[in-house]
Amino acid sequence: MIKTVDLKKTFVGRDQTVHAVDGISAHIKPSEVVVIIGPSGSGKSTYLRCLNGLETLTSGQIIIDGVDLSAKKTDLNLVRREVGMVFQQFNLFPHKSVLQNIVLAQQVVRKRKSSEALEKARMLLQKVGIAEKENEYPIRLSGGQQQRVAIARALAMDPKIMLFDEPTSALDPEMVGEVLEVMKQLAREGMTMVVVTHEMGFAREVADRVLFMDQGKLVEEGTPEHFFTAPQEERTKTFLRQVL
Amino acid sequence: MNTNRNTWPWNLLTIAILFTLCAGLWAATKKIDYTWRWNRVPQYFIYHDETLIPAPFDGQVATISKLGDKTQIKVLGDNGEEETFEVDSNGIEVFEGETLFEGDYLGATFEWRAGPLLVGLWTTLWLSAAASIIGMVIGLITGLCRVSNNPTLRSLSVFYIELIRGTPLLVQLFIFYFFLGTVLDISRIMAGISALAIFAGAYVAEIIRAGIQSIPKGQMEAARSLGMNVPQAMIHIILPQAFKRTLPPLAGQFISLIKDSSLVSVIAITDLTKSGREVITSTFATFEIWFVVAFLYLLLTSVLSQVAAWVERRLAVSD
Repeated sequence: MIKTVDLKKTFVGRDQTVHAVDGISAHIKPSEVVVIIGPSGSGKSTYLRCLNGLETLTSGQIIIDGVDLSAKKTDLNLVRREVGMVFQQFNLFPHKSVLQNIVLAQQVVRKRKSSEALEKARMLLQKVGIAEKENEYPIRLSGGQQQRVAIARALAMDPKIMLFDEPTSALDPEMVGEVLEVMKQLAREGMTMVVVTHEMGFAREVADRVLFMDQGKLVEEGTPEHFFTAPQEERTKTFLRQVL
Repeated sequence: MNTNRNTWPWNLLTIAILFTLCAGLWAATKKIDYTWRWNRVPQYFIYHDETLIPAPFDGQVATISKLGDKTQIKVLGDNGEEETFEVDSNGIEVFEGETLFEGDYLGATFEWRAGPLLVGLWTTLWLSAAASIIGMVIGLITGLCRVSNNPTLRSLSVFYIELIRGTPLLVQLFIFYFFLGTVLDISRIMAGISALAIFAGAYVAEIIRAGIQSIPKGQMEAARSLGMNVPQAMIHIILPQAFKRTLPPLAGQFISLIKDSSLVSVIAITDLTKSGREVITSTFATFEIWFVVAFLYLLLTSVLSQVAAWVERRLAVSD
């Protein structure tokens, strides 16, 4: 489903060059839930953002569903329709109501009829459990509710893959659960998911595979059991000791 | 903040200060030798125009038939000609059987006509409206060029903005009228409108640019991640939010434009300011007319700021 080959992303600043992603090769299979963990600044968010073309690659290759993202003639907009993304800061459109947030891209990008888009939006709001808020503006919702709307907005495009960039990091602790619950449900339904998170509980419970990144490199990967109980690398052990 | 606290003593003080200022001004004008003639002003807004109808040939009035406000006068010529005229009943100047010579007045029709001040106000209004709309379009395009990734578009827009903001509007008007007007053969009205529009466009572009840049990056990323291309994201996500944020400075810019439009009087466009000057030459009521002209500009600008405030309130539903 997703294949990255020696992926590199370098940010060139005035007085320093940062290798945010430094040669990551990974293969994510359909319906797999992959959780990427690592200390802050390890390049995990940058890696995720490369997967839907929000960051341009410095070198390497990404192939999503058979389409080479790094090829010049690839229309990224077509790829992005198939790859949903959920952001740390929700990024709901503040000038649109909850319903309009979910309807807009369906109409503009997928060219769906208004009735069809509305039906889909209401169905998804039901699914994420905030059907009664459809006419509210985002600012009137709690963080957890906003993130659930953001998930519904991404799902409305019928993506084949969902990317989550620290979806619960900006939430008050009591709201983390409701968002994770929606994500677990998605995983059960067989969605291909790549999740950058600090929620070790989620990784342990839901992930098929855990990737541990540090300083732009893939340090270790494995099943949650292996990863949390018998990590091989010294760097992984140190990190886990700090967070668990 | 407690706004319910008694504010009326302060309001009273405000009124007292304003009243004192007015009284002082009035006392000062008493000292100079100036006769106020406010009664001369209204006719320059609207006046009752009289059109006299002359007899076309020698002859006599055959019949006069009154039909309400209008009266029909039938005139028989000495050589057998016959013609009927219609005049206002209160403007009739002949009686039945009266002998007429060519050029004698049969009567008059009256109608209300807009005076020079009203015509000037109208000119200022549509001139500013046209320049605002064109200026908005120019500003929007330039603002988008200003934030684009293309270096040529960016440099060109910066060049335009710096050029316009760095020179006085008055000089620009002269260049548009004398130079471009001659070279491109455009009328003075077109020269005036384009100079104002291009002037406003430069400022609008900077406002739009600031507006676009004030929208968090995540908005564009969210739109792109849903598969929208840049124009779609701009139209549906970025510009509506930027417009909402920039409404107050945009309104200010267009209010300025209305006031700046008074400069077109230097290229002999009969706008409100030039009409005012013309009326003064025929009335010598200098003080009164300038006060009236100022009031009329104030009327236009305050209507615009009320409209802007209304739109702002409408857009505030998502706050």
